[in-house]
Amino acid sequence: MKKGLYGRLAWMGIKKNRKLYLPYILTCIGTITMCYIISFLSTSDVFAAIPGGDTMQSFLSMGFGVMAVFSLIFLFYTYSFLIRRRKKEFGLYNILGLNKKNLALVLISETLMIALLTIAGGLFFGVLLSKLAELGMVKMLGGTASFSFIVGFDSLWRTAALFLGIYALIFLNALRQIHLSNPIQLLHSENIGEKPPKANWAVAVLGLLLLGGAYYLAVTIQDPITALTVFFFAVIMVIIATYMLFISGSVTLCRALQKNKKYYYKTNHFVSVSSLVFRMKRNGAGLASICILCTMVLVMVSSTVCLFVGAEDTLRNRYTRNINLDAAVSELELLDGPQTDAVKEAVSRIVSENGTNIDNELEYGTAGFAALMQGDELLCDPDIYNSVGSMADMRQVFIVSLQDYNNMMNSSEVLQPGQAILYATDGASYAYDSISIEGGEPIEISKQVESFADNTIDDTQMIPSLYLFVPDFEQVVTPLLDIMYDNTGIVSLHWYYGFDMPCDDDTQMAVQEQIDEYMDEVEATEEQFAYFHVLVEGVASERAGFYGMYGGLFFLGVMLGLAFMLAAVLIIYYKQISEGYEDQSRFDTMRKVGMSRRDIRKSINSQILLVFFMPLVMSGIHLAFAFPLIRKLLLIFNLTDTGLLIAVTVVCYLVFALFYFIVYRATSRSYYSIVGGLRRSDD
Amino acid sequence: MSILEVNAVKKIYTSRFGANQIQALSNVSFQVDQGEYVAVMGESGSGKTTLLNILAALDKPTSGSVILDGKDISRLKESELATFRRDNLGFVFQDFNLLDTFTLQDNIYLPLVLSSKSPEEMSRRLKVISEQLGITSILKKYPYEVSGGQKQRAAVARALITQPKLVLADEPTGALDSKSADELLRLFGQINANGQTIVMVTHSVNAASRAGRVLFIRDGEVFHQLYRGHSTDNELYQKISDTLTVLATGGERR
Repeated sequence: MKKGLYGRLAWMGIKKNRKLYLPYILTCIGTITMCYIISFLSTSDVFAAIPGGDTMQSFLSMGFGVMAVFSLIFLFYTYSFLIRRRKKEFGLYNILGLNKKNLALVLISETLMIALLTIAGGLFFGVLLSKLAELGMVKMLGGTASFSFIVGFDSLWRTAALFLGIYALIFLNALRQIHLSNPIQLLHSENIGEKPPKANWAVAVLGLLLLGGAYYLAVTIQDPITALTVFFFAVIMVIIATYMLFISGSVTLCRALQKNKKYYYKTNHFVSVSSLVFRMKRNGAGLASICILCTMVLVMVSSTVCLFVGAEDTLRNRYTRNINLDAAVSELELLDGPQTDAVKEAVSRIVSENGTNIDNELEYGTAGFAALMQGDELLCDPDIYNSVGSMADMRQVFIVSLQDYNNMMNSSEVLQPGQAILYATDGASYAYDSISIEGGEPIEISKQVESFADNTIDDTQMIPSLYLFVPDFEQVVTPLLDIMYDNTGIVSLHWYYGFDMPCDDDTQMAVQEQIDEYMDEVEATEEQFAYFHVLVEGVASERAGFYGMYGGLFFLGVMLGLAFMLAAVLIIYYKQISEGYEDQSRFDTMRKVGMSRRDIRKSINSQILLVFFMPLVMSGIHLAFAFPLIRKLLLIFNLTDTGLLIAVTVVCYLVFALFYFIVYRATSRSYYSIVGGLRRSDD
Repeated sequence: MSILEVNAVKKIYTSRFGANQIQALSNVSFQVDQGEYVAVMGESGSGKTTLLNILAALDKPTSGSVILDGKDISRLKESELATFRRDNLGFVFQDFNLLDTFTLQDNIYLPLVLSSKSPEEMSRRLKVISEQLGITSILKKYPYEVSGGQKQRAAVARALITQPKLVLADEPTGALDSKSADELLRLFGQINANGQTIVMVTHSVNAASRAGRVLFIRDGEVFHQLYRGHSTDNELYQKISDTLTVLATGGERR
């Protein structure tokens, strides 16, 4: 056979089916571009020099793996649509005398052409856009970028190899499908009769119950720790329920509608409902997947965007002052004595040496312990609270002297011994008049307050805190120090000291470093049993690491979100197109029976609209119910700005919906041209 | 009284850019009376299907007019066409054209639903027709579950349920085995005997021999026509065969 024929056949095939191939090729180019950029950024030397760059790069390397797996699944799936449409053509070639080996050669040429085109195109755009992405990332990290243009040859090679591999696998799969079928089957592979789906009430109801249960869990969850475990359960329940509802629930609903004669036998409902039954049988699983994909994209993008946008807030929440000292001490006397004075003095010296001054000071001591709150009793035995499944009643209890409270809050509360002011961070007020610790003398709660000085503790604790401000600090704490379980005291004593400085980040870092050095010196001279161990944290030095992490997450979230979104809409596009071919003859018949073009257009529109927007609407509902859960989870990341989260989530959803709508318009146009256009040439 | 008048209908297909013109119908005129059963015969490419499409208002003639019950359907607007087809015409196709997503019952209901009839009215009409056609027991089944003959009977029911002025049948026996074909033709005869006007396009001499009149089309013109008169089916069969032989061997117009 003449050389070049296979190539020509392959090229003609691609050209003739461009409605199907063009989106595929564009998607391939898009995925390759993204893969290259991620790979390039994860290996680029530019970031190694920037603080936080390494954190970001480790996230990105993980992202490359995710992208690789995702690309494989996604392209494999998309190509299966293409090959199904092409089978007829291959059947014809087969009958005309091309044997399976020849067909394989045609397929090889086709695969090579697509591979060449998309890898070249994808890498071209990748290289072009990688600089842009790099600049964006550097800006996120707060570094300064050079404007030199670098091509990551390593990444080029890695990406090309990955996609050559993917294309090879796709080719083998196509070959297997061609090989397994005979010419007649190939010719008729599109019209296989199918049974009408049956309504399955049990599954539909089960799906509803599961979904309701998951929603209930998500909405009623109280503390972040439980949220973390519940989150996985809820996600799995939602996924299962979504599949059940899309596959079975929709059919059941349609069947119920069909039973209602008054509703069913209306022009608008008649055709739509009955074809929907079949459509949902074929597409239920696909639409459910799309719905879940959409939800994942939205959750991922909105939470990463939120983390990134809220990073500065989070930093301030996590580190209350520019410099924070947290001293773990062994003796009660050390909380307020020569040790603390020495530290403060040294700090003040270091600060003024650096040409700045202390602002907005914060200082207090605490005696803290974990306890299970049972009514008006706090139980400290780890055996007891570990045996209780729920974390909801666990509290971090901090005892603070009233003097420190008055200093911090600029108040002048006066209490008698045996009384206390109580502050609970869980938002709920404490319901009893008194509180007792480990069966000790009840402390009378004379007052409840709504706040205590901003401090790092509240926000880093995932368990709600309970503050007791007592006038007789030593008398209250001393007996507690003797409570031992497994030879360990339950109470830990801390001294907190923090302050702001009106100076730039570099000076702050210098101050922090010098304080750290000083503390190391002090600790070296300490006695063995009485210790005074200080942890020094500064916002400035943490900022880079923070932005490295959140910036990396943000960038990945957006990239993967983009990829998933591309996948979701492309799958739906292909579904519609391939259904268009199937529906062609159906609508032809309807026209002959007396359905006007306008009715047909209306019916098509309502069906596409439903199939298209059902996943979007459903994912919106999922998102709304997941919201409380996401909020709780972000608390773990110290993000407390609910307004920001709402805004970001809504914006993400709207952007997504807009993009979706554009694809919907394009799809319905192609669908209509397939259904309506080809009929003309039949006449 | 004639219910359908076809006057000097001409149809020319122009290929894109007007390079080629193909004349499908050159000059067709005939009339069909109320209650008549007319078969249209002709070879492939003689213009039968074009004629049927024009009668069905699916296509417009280049010139000439088609008047159904006093109304010129070639002058109808696109927006009126669908309603017109629904209310006045019934179709029976060679390949049934039943929708596979509907049960037979819903297939039959389709034109009624499109004309917004009430469910009670629909079930009343269906009852009469399904008994006449012997499909009452299979109404709840889907097209893929029943035989070709049963499908075609459902299609006939769909054509009749709107009580159309004219039933157009395009090779209705084409996809049926001889037993089912005979059964269908018997039904057609019966329906016609009840007063239904039928125009049937067919290749089959057997099918045509059941009609009251047979039109022969060749090269886009009505070449010849046969009336049944008092002939039996067999005698008409013979006459049609003879005519076809003359046609095939290139006889001149009588």
